[in-house]
Amino acid sequence: MLGRRGTLPFLVGPPLLWLTLCFLLPVLLIVVFSFRPETGPVDLLGPGGYSVVQYGEVLGTPAFMRLLGVSVLMALAVAALATTLAYPVAYFLAFRAGRRAALLLTLLLIPFAVSYLLRVMAWKLMLGPEGAINSLLETVGLTDGPVDLLLYSRAAVIVTLVYVWIPFAALPIYAAMQRIERSHLEAAADLGAGPWARFARVTLPLSLPGALAAFFMVFIPTVGEYVTPTLVGGSDGIMYGNIIQGFFTRSANWPMGSALAMLMLVLTLALVVVALRLVDLRRLAA
Amino acid sequence: MGILVARHRSAIALTALTLILSACGAVGGSPSAPAPTDAPASQPGKSTPPSSAAGEPNELLVLEWSGYEAEDFWTDFKDASPDTEVTFEFGDTDANILALMQGGSQADVFHFYTGWQQFYVDEGLVQEIDTSKLTNWDAVPEEYKALGQIDGKQYFVPWDWGFTSILYNTDEVPEVTSWDALFNEEYAGHVSMWNDGPGAVAVSAYINGWDETAITDDQLAQIEEDWKAQKDLNAFYWSGEYTDLCPAVMDGTVWVAYAWQGCYATALYEGLPVAYANPEEGRNSWFGLYGISADSDSPSLAHEFLDMKLAELTCSNAVNLFYYGCANSEVMAAIEDPILIEAFGVNDPDILETTNFTPPVTEEQRAAWTAMWERVQAD
Repeated sequence: MLGRRGTLPFLVGPPLLWLTLCFLLPVLLIVVFSFRPETGPVDLLGPGGYSVVQYGEVLGTPAFMRLLGVSVLMALAVAALATTLAYPVAYFLAFRAGRRAALLLTLLLIPFAVSYLLRVMAWKLMLGPEGAINSLLETVGLTDGPVDLLLYSRAAVIVTLVYVWIPFAALPIYAAMQRIERSHLEAAADLGAGPWARFARVTLPLSLPGALAAFFMVFIPTVGEYVTPTLVGGSDGIMYGNIIQGFFTRSANWPMGSALAMLMLVLTLALVVVALRLVDLRRLAA
Repeated sequence: MGILVARHRSAIALTALTLILSACGAVGGSPSAPAPTDAPASQPGKSTPPSSAAGEPNELLVLEWSGYEAEDFWTDFKDASPDTEVTFEFGDTDANILALMQGGSQADVFHFYTGWQQFYVDEGLVQEIDTSKLTNWDAVPEEYKALGQIDGKQYFVPWDWGFTSILYNTDEVPEVTSWDALFNEEYAGHVSMWNDGPGAVAVSAYINGWDETAITDDQLAQIEEDWKAQKDLNAFYWSGEYTDLCPAVMDGTVWVAYAWQGCYATALYEGLPVAYANPEEGRNSWFGLYGISADSDSPSLAHEFLDMKLAELTCSNAVNLFYYGCANSEVMAAIEDPILIEAFGVNDPDILETTNFTPPVTEEQRAAWTAMWERVQAD
């Protein structure tokens, strides 16, 4: 029988190997690519040396920097909206659903059984000129014809991404609420706190770590999003991820695409670190 | 101290999560990539005599565009060599296909579009075609063959071709006579341009009367400004003709588009009020070319595959099922469908004289033009 030390390599080894091969090495390759001076695909064994020319080009192009800023703001909006809208869902599951919680949680996760691409395509149909929303607006007489702004806009990207992320964001909030001792709420009630006071002074603070986790889980991948903008964003809804994709595919300029990707990664990391410094999770939960 | 350690642990955990989620966001699932066609269901073919491929592995790897793996696109080869195992690897842009070949793709045969020929030859990625092995070669017009020649050597077999021009909704737009319709503010929100830098440079060169093979830095700067201004009019940059552009033409979102004739023919078959402009600057025309990899283990089989691509039924399928022209002139001359005659301009004897064929681009031009286009999109 294996002791604790004996089982450790078997438990940690496979995921560590997986992460190293499928995550750390690709990220490392992107770092290396970003320092190559070529404007096409990279032959790592070929000549060319290393330079910061790609970073100079990226930082010296105002359009790229502006779009990165816009993408961060869009990701913040999506994360804030998705977390806010997911919060009552998680609250209901944790405190009101009772024995139906397991069933409702399963229902919440059903959208994940459908391809991400299909869910976004569904929104394209909903927002299109002959889509459900425009048809409804015309039927009730609010508009005479299709509203152009619904599709191919930043608003369309934000609406679609919020929809996509809500079930995802609800999970960590639900998990945090599950851990809240019901005796805390009873004690607050015994001390005279009403429902709103119990929520504001017990439930909300204790569930905030989950809400913050949900916020970051939505915010971080959304900064680099490019699938949804491609499908519903149009010319106005292009995000920074689309430019990275463009340099890797349309342009075959991997070094420039890598430099753009690294800049996004560093900025996102910096924002998370700053946020962690500003928000003390343990004090929030205390 | 304990709290500090715990905080550091949370920071490390969140940092790791950041890295993973950022990677997911940056390189996550992609929508179906831009493909020149989307293939409908296949149709049975007829047999064509096989040629010998003795001594080579009886398998062929083809680097293709998604959709072209449909058997309709290689039905004659399927019939001629039913025992050959044909597999497909996919690229989604010309840049991607070049990158795959440069990256050591094991493909025997690869498919790309005009403008990119020189790179394959310069980098030794392609072998010369032995045209004596191609039984259907005589059906290919000389001017088409010339598109696949570099330094007098035949490196590529021309296959699919088509026009690019302005597709427009005749209910919303009066007759279009110039490429500058893409820049007309009256159609704001109803214009769609192809998501491609060299394509954008070509349009600007036509409008301004510039030589698209010799665009200067000043001209490129002007092109960039023009397309940045055009962005406000553009509904979306399309990537897939049948996945992005055609549905938007059909549902009335797009009135004026940079388009290939396939979408035009599709719209005509649907009875939509559309026209395909003959701009005063001339239409554009492009060609799809096949090359045989320099490292192919099955060059004879690859030659046979390309020969059968030019055979009658395979070429007819490209024309009749997908509305793409084919390099076999006998097949093109036999078109009887009035919609296809209109789409290919078969009834216009002067059309090729005013057509601008996509020229090869240099590495510097490709890099500068594609980077310009990314700046336009980011603006």
